[in-house]
Amino acid sequence: MASIVLSNVDKVYAGGVKAVNGLNLEIKDGEFMVLVGPSGCGKSTALRMIAGLEDISGGEISIGDRVVNHLPPKDRDIAMVFQNYALYPHMTVEENLAFGLKLRKMPKAEIQKRVNEAAKMLGLEQYLKRKPAALSGGQRQRVAMGRAIVREPQAFLMDEPLSNLDAKLRVSMRASLNQLHERLGVTTVYVTHDQVEAMTLGDRVCVLRDGFLQQVDTPQNLFDRPVNLFVAGFMGSPAMNFAYADLVRDGSGAAVSFAGFKLPVPDSTFTDKPGLDRYVGKRVILGIRPSDFEDSVAANGSSGGWARIPVTANVTEELGSEINVLFTIDAPPVEHKDTVAAAHDGDEEEVALPLTGDKSLWTARVNARSHVRPGQSLELVIDTHNLHFFDVESGLAIGHEANVGR
Amino acid sequence: MRISRPVLRKYGFIAAFLIVPLALYIVFFVSPNLQAFQLALTNSRGISPDFAYVGFDNFRTLFADDVFWAAVRHHLLILLVLPIVTIAIALFFSFLINLGGGTKRGQLSGVLGSGFYKVVFFFPQVLAVAIVGVLFQAILRPDKDGILNSALGLVGIDPVGWLINPNLALWTLVGVAIWQGVGFYVVLFSAGMASVPKEVFEAASIDGAGRFTLFFRITLPLVWNTVQVGWVYLGIAAFDLFALVQTLSVDRGGPDDSTTVLPLEIWRTAFTYYKFGYSSAMGVALVFMVLTFAALTLRVTRRERIEY
Repeated sequence: MASIVLSNVDKVYAGGVKAVNGLNLEIKDGEFMVLVGPSGCGKSTALRMIAGLEDISGGEISIGDRVVNHLPPKDRDIAMVFQNYALYPHMTVEENLAFGLKLRKMPKAEIQKRVNEAAKMLGLEQYLKRKPAALSGGQRQRVAMGRAIVREPQAFLMDEPLSNLDAKLRVSMRASLNQLHERLGVTTVYVTHDQVEAMTLGDRVCVLRDGFLQQVDTPQNLFDRPVNLFVAGFMGSPAMNFAYADLVRDGSGAAVSFAGFKLPVPDSTFTDKPGLDRYVGKRVILGIRPSDFEDSVAANGSSGGWARIPVTANVTEELGSEINVLFTIDAPPVEHKDTVAAAHDGDEEEVALPLTGDKSLWTARVNARSHVRPGQSLELVIDTHNLHFFDVESGLAIGHEANVGR
Repeated sequence: MRISRPVLRKYGFIAAFLIVPLALYIVFFVSPNLQAFQLALTNSRGISPDFAYVGFDNFRTLFADDVFWAAVRHHLLILLVLPIVTIAIALFFSFLINLGGGTKRGQLSGVLGSGFYKVVFFFPQVLAVAIVGVLFQAILRPDKDGILNSALGLVGIDPVGWLINPNLALWTLVGVAIWQGVGFYVVLFSAGMASVPKEVFEAASIDGAGRFTLFFRITLPLVWNTVQVGWVYLGIAAFDLFALVQTLSVDRGGPDDSTTVLPLEIWRTAFTYYKFGYSSAMGVALVFMVLTFAALTLRVTRRERIEY
């Protein structure tokens, strides 16, 4: 096992397209690092450069203590799991698993032992004599995992390994992947465009956009303290709500006003976010997570210190345990380049009503007991401790430690 | 006989489509072939309507005919050499063009300029065989002014009688046939390799496969179906070669029958000697040879198909 360090890594394609731009990333020994971002953000390219399948245009990649820039893939001691599994169709499962070991001239008994262990771990024992064509998608995926495991490499590289599976299988494979990582403790770099996968799998998550690193942190920190509008909009489902707002301070304390609402801003927020007080009297972009809303009826009094806003539900999405309430607020949608980029991600479909006109569509995630119906009015309470503030120009989160002084 | 309505409705549509091509096939393919069997038992000379049945006399003559056996021997030699050499060269070229850039610098692509080679290799395929024949007449001239011989002269090798040396002529012709055919199979195998997901090759290179392993353990098994198709094409071509021998060889199949092939003998027997009956007997023999080859090929190459 080894750490993987990328320093100032660039990838320039013919024609001058920069797929990866000055990427600095340290993946610690035994860490599960997820690279996430919308399609075309350079996450797969970065992974393929670590694997040695793409040239490195600039910078340095080291695995363990070795600089691997000019090593061919086979000498980097890594194993890769591909999105389409890339099993050898003319070999049986057993031969697929053993192929890499045979090429490394490992003794037969050792090969047999490792293959059997991996097959047992992945529940593939009864399929060893089958060819990939005779396996289901989930089984093929496990063979692809097995092919990586038997090699006992320094690191696993996984390129969207679950995205060809159906939704239910994906969830269970996600859990298996977690267990597997617990058990083997091998350094893993995992590429996905699915932020749920990123949140659930990663020890740390690295958000990329247009080849630039946005933020590397634990999933919870990414969710709670996004560094800019893009990360805020990309992580979390449903996505964070945004509106232009004015930060004001009057006799009753600080408040943020938007679309006819006025939410008090607790003093603790100002201590949490150094530099926020400089924005008093100015325009900011306000961000509120759908999960920081609650129906005031369902919340039933436990909302001390929460602000209340009356809204009319346009659409309700009942998910059983909770309801997504979509409502319009009387403010123009925030059209910052970052929010647009985050919303236009490949798979995660945002609900967009073309009928909202000059109003923004917001989402609140409320308790299922709310029983709100489309067209009904309801009063939402907002946890004002979790408000997010972004600079109107730069889109950076105000008061985030990475942005202080920028 | 009256055909009931439901039956008519069920099969009438299919029959309407089948009847015309089937009729053409029977009139222009099946019936001439059957007539050849009939003619093979006669002494027909093709120019008069009168002929007599002579039983298996033609075949008896045939089996004692040295030229016939020479042609058969040539076919067997060509059948051994032409497909193997053509496929080997074509596989080698298409591997270089598609994957031969190797994994050295990470990408699986062809060698430098592979797009250009792909087009150039295909050029000979575009030329008509007659043109190829004329071209190689000039290239393979036996005196020191032939293109090939003058090139050899530069390095001090005496002129070689490419087409006039009876021991060499057949192989020269096979060489020309390979030169002309390779381009097509390069394209065929390139298509085969392109249909394999590139991740399979990438996975192999991560697993530790060098170029050699990549070719023999991954690429070749994965394009094996395409190779079989190529094998069948080339096998059939090995029973032909009429046009090339006709245009390129000395005395049409010479020198001294050392390059003759059955189609040429059939043509000569029929249209030079006007022995249509005997010529048909040769044709019948050829049919059985081709059928044997086809049956053997189908038998040997039967193998489960690969799914990706």
